[in-house]
Amino acid sequence: MENKIDLSKHGLSEEELFTIVTHDETESEKITAPRYSYWRSVFRVFFRKKINWIVLGILLVLLLFTYIYPRFVPFDRFANVTDSTSKHLQPKAAIEKYGFSLSYILGTGASGEPTFDAVWYGSKISLSLAIVCAAINMVIGVLVGAVWGYSKKIDLIMVEVRNIIANIPYELLIAVMVLVLTRGFWTMVFALTVTGWLGVAAFIRTQVIIIRDREYNLASRCLGTPIGRIATKNILPFMTSVIVTYAALEIPAYIGFEVFLSYIGLGLSDLTLGKMISEAQGSMVVPGWGFEFWSPVAISAILSIVLFVVGQNLGDASDPRTHM
Amino acid sequence: MAKYILRRVLHGIFSIVVVVGIVMVLIYSLLSRDQIFATDPNFIKVAANRKITYKYEKWEEFGYLDYVNYTDWLTDLVTNGELAAEARSKLTNLGKDAESDKENVAEYVKKFTDYYESKGYTVTRLKTVMAGKKVTNGGQPQLFAAKDIPVLMRLLTYFGNLFQVDTVNSAKNYEGERKITFTLYDPLYGGQKFSPAIMGQGTFHKYLLYFDNEFPYIHQNLLSVNLGVSYSVNQGVEVVTTMTKAQGSYVQRMTTYPTGLTEMSADDLHSATYMAGSRDSIQLRKDRFLDDYTTTITFKSGMSRIGYSFVIGLCSVLLTYLIGVPMAIWMAQKKDKAVDKIGSVYVVFITAMPSLAYIFLVKAIGNKIGIPTTFNIEEFSWTMCVLPIISLSLRPIGSMMRWLRRYMVDQQNADYVKFARSGGLSEREIFTRHILKNASIPIIYGIPGSILFSMTGALVTERVYTVPGIGGIFINAINAYDNGVIVGVALFYAVLSVVSGILGDIMMSIVDPRISFSSKAR
Repeated sequence: MENKIDLSKHGLSEEELFTIVTHDETESEKITAPRYSYWRSVFRVFFRKKINWIVLGILLVLLLFTYIYPRFVPFDRFANVTDSTSKHLQPKAAIEKYGFSLSYILGTGASGEPTFDAVWYGSKISLSLAIVCAAINMVIGVLVGAVWGYSKKIDLIMVEVRNIIANIPYELLIAVMVLVLTRGFWTMVFALTVTGWLGVAAFIRTQVIIIRDREYNLASRCLGTPIGRIATKNILPFMTSVIVTYAALEIPAYIGFEVFLSYIGLGLSDLTLGKMISEAQGSMVVPGWGFEFWSPVAISAILSIVLFVVGQNLGDASDPRTHM
Repeated sequence: MAKYILRRVLHGIFSIVVVVGIVMVLIYSLLSRDQIFATDPNFIKVAANRKITYKYEKWEEFGYLDYVNYTDWLTDLVTNGELAAEARSKLTNLGKDAESDKENVAEYVKKFTDYYESKGYTVTRLKTVMAGKKVTNGGQPQLFAAKDIPVLMRLLTYFGNLFQVDTVNSAKNYEGERKITFTLYDPLYGGQKFSPAIMGQGTFHKYLLYFDNEFPYIHQNLLSVNLGVSYSVNQGVEVVTTMTKAQGSYVQRMTTYPTGLTEMSADDLHSATYMAGSRDSIQLRKDRFLDDYTTTITFKSGMSRIGYSFVIGLCSVLLTYLIGVPMAIWMAQKKDKAVDKIGSVYVVFITAMPSLAYIFLVKAIGNKIGIPTTFNIEEFSWTMCVLPIISLSLRPIGSMMRWLRRYMVDQQNADYVKFARSGGLSEREIFTRHILKNASIPIIYGIPGSILFSMTGALVTERVYTVPGIGGIFINAINAYDNGVIVGVALFYAVLSVVSGILGDIMMSIVDPRISFSSKAR
């Protein structure tokens, strides 16, 4: 009892220093950790950056104009076609002629249609096509890619299949589809996705192969975890950020692809951004007609860039390693 | 390694054959055959029975089926000596329908029918189309046999004819001794100058191997690749010729013809090919040639389609590596500093923007500065290539910056880098000697591909700047239903892709000795 401190020397009683805690059996069985919700963390990280607020704001405005604006302002491309004075007007002249309205702030096009309305009408179809194609490709691609990466037997076959399908020129495929079926929205979706998923699947396959043989999966398998659970609990969370990043790249890629296809004459028959660009090509060099060419170019560029940035940053935010 | 490459090559050939097969199914089986008449101006001019035979004739031209008309069959019999020419003219008169044929005609009609039906053809007899008492325009009776070409058969014949060797039996209807001669003094140069050449008699080309003063100085006509023949875009011209033929205006030079006649001409006499009876038919040729090797290619001032595309593509590949690699290194070194951020903004813009948008932007800016925005073969200058090269390089530079930076940043935390740093190496040394070396391996894989694929041209860039390149050949062929060209170009693309994959792997294993394809450990 040599080193026992004499508490009475300090003027402190034992009751002041300690409180007695009773032992609780049920309480001791609980294990607590800081509360963590994956998606809440994702958005917390995402909105921590100021730039994301700005970009998301721009995207919201673009989406409003793309999907809501055409509902209120009906667009008829050939409404003014008989009026020869309505064609290729500069913004100032168009506003003078028709009075100020949002529709005419970008002037008029080759058929006298208001360029501003046309751009949003076109971007609605272009963006819808891109979103639908990206969604289909991602769903099929991720599912096939997961199986492809996991099974070595399927891998052997799929690598050969990929070597073949990747070498079929897509222009031909699209042209044949368009001629065999009708030239419509869903035909285009089919033509673009019939081989498009393969790229996604190949990408996912590589990711799965990288993670598949990690030690923690090996341990999981040794402990007898069924494959389904390994896939959903071990591998999928690891790949969420990769998948989100890839999906975000797909949409702008398809917007650009649609523009390209329309330019080479394989696009949709509806008015899309690509079709507007290819039709207004000649206007680029005519002084004063520039608006009808540069407006769809600018919108397609802004739309792609905004979607790209949002997707990229969302992908970054969905990586759990950034959640610290 | 050699075994591995051989396996890869065999796999590659397999996929190429399957790809060509699928392309053939797509265009010959899936597409409606009537599509080809949509833009045919002659189609509306023919009527009644003639319209049907016209369709079959065209289908044969486009390679859908094998078609034999009764009258053509009779002509063949005459040329083979099985039928007298006078008898033929009587036999061609078909009756109004099968019952009203004259006796001898009916006999030959039966012969024709039996012969082709036994070979699996469908024989069709079209009755005379009458309008009142008169036979309508194109309403004459017709008899013909037709048979679809099965895909497998088509595939086999296509690959069978892919490589053609010019032998002494290649020229049709050649009269005289067929042989190959070797000379040390090319007669084209007057027979005095030392210039070895192999010449043929009875071969399709007159010169099989020769030297001249144009790159690559030694030329051969012995082995040629036949990718197929164009039907609608360039009627009857081979795909390979369309790709490689020089364009522009004629370049005339002093030429001495075999007869000794010397004049200014653009004929390339080394390219002379055989056509029976061609010399005697035209006086012009009689004065110049001694034999029937009279068809020549002409010298022209411009490059070929593939040439322009390749030159522009190669320049843009060079520019990509010259700018992209140093930029990526710089960005990786100054990670999260101003350079890195500006670079990242560029990468985002250039990857996200539709290619058409920035190509037009470059064109508009170039126009403002005063660089020529359209291509002109006749007044060629390198400034015309500036804008296409820049337009082509912008996106590859962006992706190079993105990926090489990414690989380098990933390497920066590797153990060997920490070890090198603790060993006292300067940051510069670590970057250039160690990190760059390891990070560039995936980049090196892409080099053969980027060089080879510049041969396919760039569709949009070439169209925007009116470059007479090869980029549009495939789309033009699709729009014109030019089946021969579609198959040929698809094969060309597939070969390029397989070859660049194999070369990329070889280059990787050369640069990085750790990568080995021979062991199973891969």
